[in-house]
Amino acid sequence: MKLAIVTTYPPGKGSLNEYAYHLVEGLKTKEEVEEIILLVDELPTNEPDEVYPSSEDGSVHIIPCWRFNDPTNPLRIAHTLRENKPDAVLFNIQFASFGDRKIAGGLGLLAPLFSKLLKFPTVVLLHNIMETVDLKSAGFGTNPITQAVIRFAGTILTHLVLSADLVALTIPRYVEILQEKYRANNAVLIPHGTFNDIEQPSMDLPEGPLQIMTFGKFGTYKKVEILIEAFEILQNRSGEQPVELVIAGTSSPNAPGYLEGVAERCTHIPNIRFTGYVEEEDVPKIFGDAAVVVFPYTSTTGSSGVLHQAGSFGKAAVLPEIGDFIELIGEEGYTGETFLPDSSFTLAKAISRVIDNSDNRITLGQQNYLAARGLPIAEVADWYLLHYAQLQKEISFLPATQSI
Amino acid sequence: MNTKALSPEPIIKLIELSGRFDAHVAPEFIKWTDENIPASQEYLLVDLKKVNFIDSTALASLVRGMKHCREKGGDLALCNLQQPVQIIFELTRMDQAFRIYTTQEDAFEKARAEYIEKLL
Repeated sequence: MKLAIVTTYPPGKGSLNEYAYHLVEGLKTKEEVEEIILLVDELPTNEPDEVYPSSEDGSVHIIPCWRFNDPTNPLRIAHTLRENKPDAVLFNIQFASFGDRKIAGGLGLLAPLFSKLLKFPTVVLLHNIMETVDLKSAGFGTNPITQAVIRFAGTILTHLVLSADLVALTIPRYVEILQEKYRANNAVLIPHGTFNDIEQPSMDLPEGPLQIMTFGKFGTYKKVEILIEAFEILQNRSGEQPVELVIAGTSSPNAPGYLEGVAERCTHIPNIRFTGYVEEEDVPKIFGDAAVVVFPYTSTTGSSGVLHQAGSFGKAAVLPEIGDFIELIGEEGYTGETFLPDSSFTLAKAISRVIDNSDNRITLGQQNYLAARGLPIAEVADWYLLHYAQLQKEISFLPATQSI
Repeated sequence: MNTKALSPEPIIKLIELSGRFDAHVAPEFIKWTDENIPASQEYLLVDLKKVNFIDSTALASLVRGMKHCREKGGDLALCNLQQPVQIIFELTRMDQAFRIYTTQEDAFEKARAEYIEKLL
């Protein structure tokens, strides 16, 4: 297959350039892909030292053929496609890929339609949708009329993008929005993929007491009092390894002095360590030494970055049963022992099930590691190829020489 | 994970999965498919009747298995998709990429008919 990808690409600085690089690296490894043609943006002339790389094995050809904020981009891209006659076309874009000026940026999104009209099997990988853009944060102010006009334009542009054979989105909710609002039957979920494989972490623990660790900025919805109560219960269990409680991090900016106050109140309890702010280079040791990572949350706002960190270090987690938090993280592949957020007793029991059962600790840690590792982008590349194979079955090919 | 040979000719190797089919189970499934990649005109049939959840890593392992099977002239087919799994297949359009059957018997009949047609 000769695959054309319309995208930014390093050393180009446009957004999604790094994603394109990793996707191309994944596609290069596939037997079905004989040649990749990258239709990229022209590099700025004021940086003459920057040039696009040439492919060592000739499998990737880079053709600069469009320019940010140039309204002629769709015509130039269509012309380049016609000249090169790929078997399939992929657009790696978001709404502002072709420009941040309204006319040029909007016209650029005609390019997938032109590709489709030229009878190339066309897939758009759309990294965002207008419906989820916070216009105020994006700098469009709070004027409701301006926002309404922009939303209307966004709807039209989305219809343009949906003229492709398939529109791939990386978040299930985005697919649902396009299906519901635009009645799109060509919106499809394809995972984003991960760029780098996370190294398999060691499941061994250091000598000494088992470290029960919590990590974050505390004082608002992350409270350590219940964890300290559970820790006291655990210290009284008999016949098991001694334990240490490591409270890693600082008070939340919204709760200044919180951890300092807690530390003053629990000086009588042995084996509690407050690390203060953890430097980036010290993070692996903090997580690596922990036997379990505890999430003493009183509410949640979705998934957890700390849980992703714990997973990448292969750590078992102890999690609160709040709302749909367990279900949500379960859908991402994470797991853990759970506790009732207002019960130090259930928290102590949950921690004990991890630290006093090495097999359980390793099993939970391994599962969280697999969840954090995610799906390598090379595997995601297979999904695109599968969809192209399906499209090629569906599309009746005409010579790609029609005028537009 | 439960496996067995379903029929002598064409050879259909069956795997029945249960519970969550996710990143934790996927490596074991990949190992099984690698060890059972069929020869020409043979099939792997994955029964998902007892699977109530599938994630992207598991779906990728099915794609990988299907790709390897087709490279060898065989195929990897699925049967008995339950609603939560069916939704994921529709969301990812994988329902159009895989051969999906309602039951094991249905898969067997179709494979047998195809096998005979190829022989003729």
